Amino acid sequence: MTEPTVPVSGDRHGPRYGLRALAAVWLGKCAGIVLRLLGREGTHVPGRVALWVCPNLLCVIGRPNTVIVVTGTNGKTTTTNLLADSLEALGFRVSSNRAGSNLRDGIVATLIDGVTMWGRCRSDVAVVEMDERSALRVLPELAPNIVVCTNLTRDSIKRNAHPEFIAWILSSALSPTTTLVLNADDLITSSLGSDSNRREFFGVDPKGDEPREPSGSAVDASICPRCDERLEWDFWRFNHIGRVHCSACGFNSPSADTRVSLVDAATGLSALTINSETVNIRVVNDSIVNVYNLAAVAATLDVLDVAPQMIGSIVESLTPPSSRFADETAGGVRIVRLLTKGLVGVAVSRAFEHICSVPGNKIVLLAIDETTDRFDGVENTAWTYDADYEYLADPSITAIYVGGVRRHDQAFRLAMAGVDPKKIVVVESETHGADLAPLDNVDVVFNLYSNHNAEVTGDAVQRTLRTRLLEKTS
Amino acid sequence: MTLTIEMLYPEIANLHGDNANIEYLARCIPKAQVVRTGLNETPAFVSGKVDLVYLGPLTEKGQMRAIARLTPFKARIEELIQSGTHFLFTHNAMECLGSRIVNSEMNYDIPGVGIFDFSSDVRMFNRYTGKVMGSFDGVSQPIVGYKSQFSMVSDSPETPGFMTTTRGIGRNTTTHVEGVRVNNFIGTSLIGPVLVMNPHLTEWLVSSLVPSRKPELALKDFALAAYDARLREFQDNRTWSAFERVTR
Repeated sequence: MTEPTVPVSGDRHGPRYGLRALAAVWLGKCAGIVLRLLGREGTHVPGRVALWVCPNLLCVIGRPNTVIVVTGTNGKTTTTNLLADSLEALGFRVSSNRAGSNLRDGIVATLIDGVTMWGRCRSDVAVVEMDERSALRVLPELAPNIVVCTNLTRDSIKRNAHPEFIAWILSSALSPTTTLVLNADDLITSSLGSDSNRREFFGVDPKGDEPREPSGSAVDASICPRCDERLEWDFWRFNHIGRVHCSACGFNSPSADTRVSLVDAATGLSALTINSETVNIRVVNDSIVNVYNLAAVAATLDVLDVAPQMIGSIVESLTPPSSRFADETAGGVRIVRLLTKGLVGVAVSRAFEHICSVPGNKIVLLAIDETTDRFDGVENTAWTYDADYEYLADPSITAIYVGGVRRHDQAFRLAMAGVDPKKIVVVESETHGADLAPLDNVDVVFNLYSNHNAEVTGDAVQRTLRTRLLEKTS
Repeated sequence: MTLTIEMLYPEIANLHGDNANIEYLARCIPKAQVVRTGLNETPAFVSGKVDLVYLGPLTEKGQMRAIARLTPFKARIEELIQSGTHFLFTHNAMECLGSRIVNSEMNYDIPGVGIFDFSSDVRMFNRYTGKVMGSFDGVSQPIVGYKSQFSMVSDSPETPGFMTTTRGIGRNTTTHVEGVRVNNFIGTSLIGPVLVMNPHLTEWLVSSLVPSRKPELALKDFALAAYDARLREFQDNRTWSAFERVTR
C-alpha cells in the first residue's frame, strides 16, 4: 500500500487574525464551554456568538490546508461521517461537524472548535457538512479545496423549491478552482460547476433488474440539456437517478471515475473500480443510498491521491449508519419502525418502496405529518403528490391505518394511489392504529413516523404493538 | 363522444405534485382521454379539438422553454380562449402567458407569450409560502390552497381574477385578486393540487366540461373529508400568520 499524499501541513489564513477575530474565537469557545456545562446541545451557538462579534470570521479563521465540503439533498451527514472516519483511519487529525449542524453558524462553530486559543489550527483536514441552500453564505468565504455533492433531488417545496434552483445556488457559489466530486448518476448534480472545475464522478453500476423507464411521481431530468429531446434511460433507479443518453444529439450521463458494482447483494460483495483499477470489497448494503455514499467517499479519497487498494480497505471497514429503522420480532411478527420524513417526497417514496419489497403480509401504521411546519409557519401538503404512495397499493399490504392531523389528506392520497379504500382506516390519534390493527395473519407491521413525533408516536406505537403481540402469544 | 384533456410538456411541467390535478379530473370523467404533448411536439390544440389544455408548474428554465414553444401559437390560444375552450394553468405556468418575466437574480428579463398584460417579478431569494382562502364565481364553498413561489404577478385591472381572497394574498401582497379567469381560462398560482384540494371546484369544472350529465366526483368521501378538515383549519384565525395577508 502506498501512503496517501493529502496535503497536511499548516493552516490557512491564520496570520490574518485581528484582535476582533481572536475575540470572536474566544467568545465562541466560551459559549461552547457554557453549553457543555449546562448539558445543552446547541452546536451552532458558538458560531452564532462568534459571527456576531466578527461577521467575516469564516474568511479569516484558521483552517487546515485541506477543507472538504460535503453537500447534497440526501446522505450528506452519512458521507461526512464516513469521510471523516476514513481520514482518521489514515492517521489524520480531522475536524468535522459530525452532529450535522450544517448552516453557516454550525460550520463556524466547528472551525472554532478546531483552533487553539490563539487561533492556530489543530487539525490536518476539515470535513464540513453544508446545507445546500447555505452555499452562497459559506463557500466563497470558506474556499474549500473539494466539494462533494451526493445528489440533488426534490426536498421541501417551501424551502428548496426544486433541484434546479439548488443547483443554481451551488454553481453560483463555487470557485472555478474547487475540485468537485459529483454523482454521475444524477444529471442535475453532475452538471454542477463549470469547465474550469476539476470534476471527479462517482456512480453505482446498474444491477440488471432495474427498469429502463421511470415510474415515479417526480422525475426532474427528463429532457436533454443540449437539445430538449426526451432522454432515454440506460437504467432508472429513483427520481432522476440513473443513467441516460440522448439519441438525437448523442449526449450521455458522464462516465464515473469511481464505480461500485454490486456483485452479490446478499453478502455485499462488490467491485470498486477507481480509474480502471478494480478491487473487490464487501460493503454494508442496506440501501442503495448508502452504496452511493460509500462511492462518494472512495471518489474523494481518490482525489486526495490515496491508492485504490487502500481506498478499498478503508471503504470495506466503514459501517454506514443503518437506514433509520429498527426491526424486532414479537410473537412471531416483525415490527419494523421506520423514520419516514414527511414533507420530503423522495424520502417517503424510498420508505414506501422498502415496505413494498419486504415479503409477507403487511400492515402499515402511517403517522408522518411534520407538525412543526404548522407551528413554525405554513404547512404545505402538496408534497404528498410528489411521493410515490403507489407502492402501498401492493396486494401484500392488507391494511393501512392513517392517524394524525392530516389523516384525511393522507387517506385521500392513498386512495388516489390505487389503495383499495376498504384497506384504508382513518383514526384521529397518531397512535390509535396500534390498538386497532388486527395482528392475526400478518407477517410484518410497519410503524411509520416522522422527525417530530419519533418519541410520542414512534416509541408509543412500537410499545403497544410489542405488548399486544406478546400478550397474544402468551 | 370522448373528451380530450391535453397536458402540455409534462416532462418539464411537473413540479409540486400538481399533475395530480389532471389525474383526479380524469378519474372524475372516466371517458376522458389524456394527451401528453412533449416539449418538441406540436400541441394537439393547434389543429384539433381539445376540451381542456393544462400546463403545470415549471422551473425558471422550464418557463422559458414553455414560452418559446407557445409563442408561435399565440393567436390560436387567444382564439380558443375567446371561443370558450377550457384551460387550467397552475402555479407559475400562468405567468408564461403574461407580458414579461423579470428575474434580476438570474439576470434575465424576457417577454411572455403576451396574451395577458400582467408581468411577473421573480425573486429567487424571497420565496413566498402561505395559505389562501377565497371565493370563486360558480362555487358556493370557499376555495382553499397554498402558495409557494418565487414570483409575484403584477396588478392588471383589465384581466379578471380567478378568485378573490378572503384570507391570504392574491396575485401579489397588495391585492385580493388571485390568478386569471377569462371565459373558461383559469390560471392560478395555487398549488395543493388545487383540484384535489377543492372537490367543489372540480365538480364545477366537470359539469362545465360535460354539461350533459350530473358530475360525479371520484373518491368523493375521501375528497370531501379532506376538504372539510382543511376548511375548518383555514377558518380558524389562529392558523394565519401576519405575513399571510394583503397589505395596502
